[in-house]
Amino acid sequence: MIAVGALLHTKHLSRSVFEITIALVVPVVQASLAVYLFRAGTEPHRMLEAAVGAGLMGVWSSVLFGSGGAIQNQRWQGTLEMLMLAPRPAVLVILPITLATGLTGTYAVAATLLWGWLLYGIPLDFARPLAFAVAVPGCILALGMFGLLLAATFVLMRNANALTNTLEYPIWLVSGMLVPISVLPGWTGPIAAVLPTTWGARAVRQAVTGGAVWPSLGICLAVSVLCLGLGTLALTYVERRARAAATLALA
Amino acid sequence: MISALRLIGLGGAIAYRALFNWTTPAMFVGTLLAGPLFQLLFFAYLGRQLGVADDRFYIVGNAVLAASLACVFGGTMAVANERRYGTLGHVLLSPRSRTVLFLGRALPYAANGLLVAAVTLAGGALLLRLRVPLAALPGLALALAAGSLACAFFGLLLGALGLRFKDVWLVSNVAVAVLLLLTGVNVPAQTLPAGLRAIGSLLPITHAAEAARVLAAGDGLAAAMPSIGRELAVAGAYAVAAATLLRLFEVESRRRATLDTL
Repeated sequence: MIAVGALLHTKHLSRSVFEITIALVVPVVQASLAVYLFRAGTEPHRMLEAAVGAGLMGVWSSVLFGSGGAIQNQRWQGTLEMLMLAPRPAVLVILPITLATGLTGTYAVAATLLWGWLLYGIPLDFARPLAFAVAVPGCILALGMFGLLLAATFVLMRNANALTNTLEYPIWLVSGMLVPISVLPGWTGPIAAVLPTTWGARAVRQAVTGGAVWPSLGICLAVSVLCLGLGTLALTYVERRARAAATLALA
Repeated sequence: MISALRLIGLGGAIAYRALFNWTTPAMFVGTLLAGPLFQLLFFAYLGRQLGVADDRFYIVGNAVLAASLACVFGGTMAVANERRYGTLGHVLLSPRSRTVLFLGRALPYAANGLLVAAVTLAGGALLLRLRVPLAALPGLALALAAGSLACAFFGLLLGALGLRFKDVWLVSNVAVAVLLLLTGVNVPAQTLPAGLRAIGSLLPITHAAEAARVLAAGDGLAAAMPSIGRELAVAGAYAVAAATLLRLFEVESRRRATLDTL
């Protein structure tokens, strides 16, 4: 059910010109920016890392804006009540949507890699290609689970949109998607350590440059499963409260 | 004349309150103040790590760019939201000059952009400990104002496209991303290919950022005036283009009876 649901919502998102254009164009602009910065700087040999990092930034944006507003979007479309009426736990209905936002984010990774290869001649020579092929889907699955926590908690907040607009750059920064965590102030370390984005980005980067991919990917998935658990609890609370107060369809 | 000024001032302020989606305190602080500050920190740390430029380059550049979010999306909302809320027809029934009516709407967004840019500059300077010469502040305000004005007219131009195209938010989102790349705010202009540099010189922010950097380095207003002049010229060009497109698309929408078609 999760797989079929995720596929359905991915197809649905993929029909949106807005979603697809944003998923393709914005990461490509960011990849170009990263490439010019890395070229201008002291580390031109890390171009592939820059392209992959920009792609992961696109995945996070897709999950943040897609999952953060997942429930609200269903509400606006008038489909939330029908989804909640389904004789299945709410988590099985909402998780496919948040997974789909992660899957839509793969367009960003594909676009930045292809763009880097075609325009800037960045060779796609991954140090561990097999690990890369596993780490990217693993990271996307993890972010989809993290997305459920975002979806369930953001719907409780009146000003979730403001939080969504604010959280894009901090997570890019603290997760080390382009900037190594080591150059950030020490107090950001514990924040980075509890974010699945940090471990996911690390796993993918290690697959590109060579390194221990599996421990990072394992921690990423473990943290995400924890987020899934918390998200399930939050979603159950939200659903009960909305049913009791008859506010399911009300923003 | 007084009537036109009233339309610009009062009309612009009412339109700002009615059409700008981000006026609630949470949205204003989250989207317009915190967001650009995090963006500044992101590029400052990236620049530090890559050794591309110093903190001053990123703090000043991103502070100028911070105005773009309020101005580009604001300018777009100033036109596109009229259509979305079903009030465009009423506005265009008015016998007042379209040029005065719509160009006046850009001014509150420019003022908003100036505020956002100033807060971002102050926040960035405090967090990353940049000393800006006190004597440079009036010039910096002028440079930020010029950048904000150019961005607001640029946003109005994109908003005009909303009279013709279905999804104007797509255009605004892509435009903001392009500003990030081509204005030389984060990537030093000399490292960009000549073609991209040429496009960048036609965009808002580029010359204002140049001017602001000159001023923040303590070089004085006289050294920054040519860049400020170029930014104001860019602002004027976008104002003319926006007024022309608004007029053109209005006539076209009336002819095709597609004014309120979303």
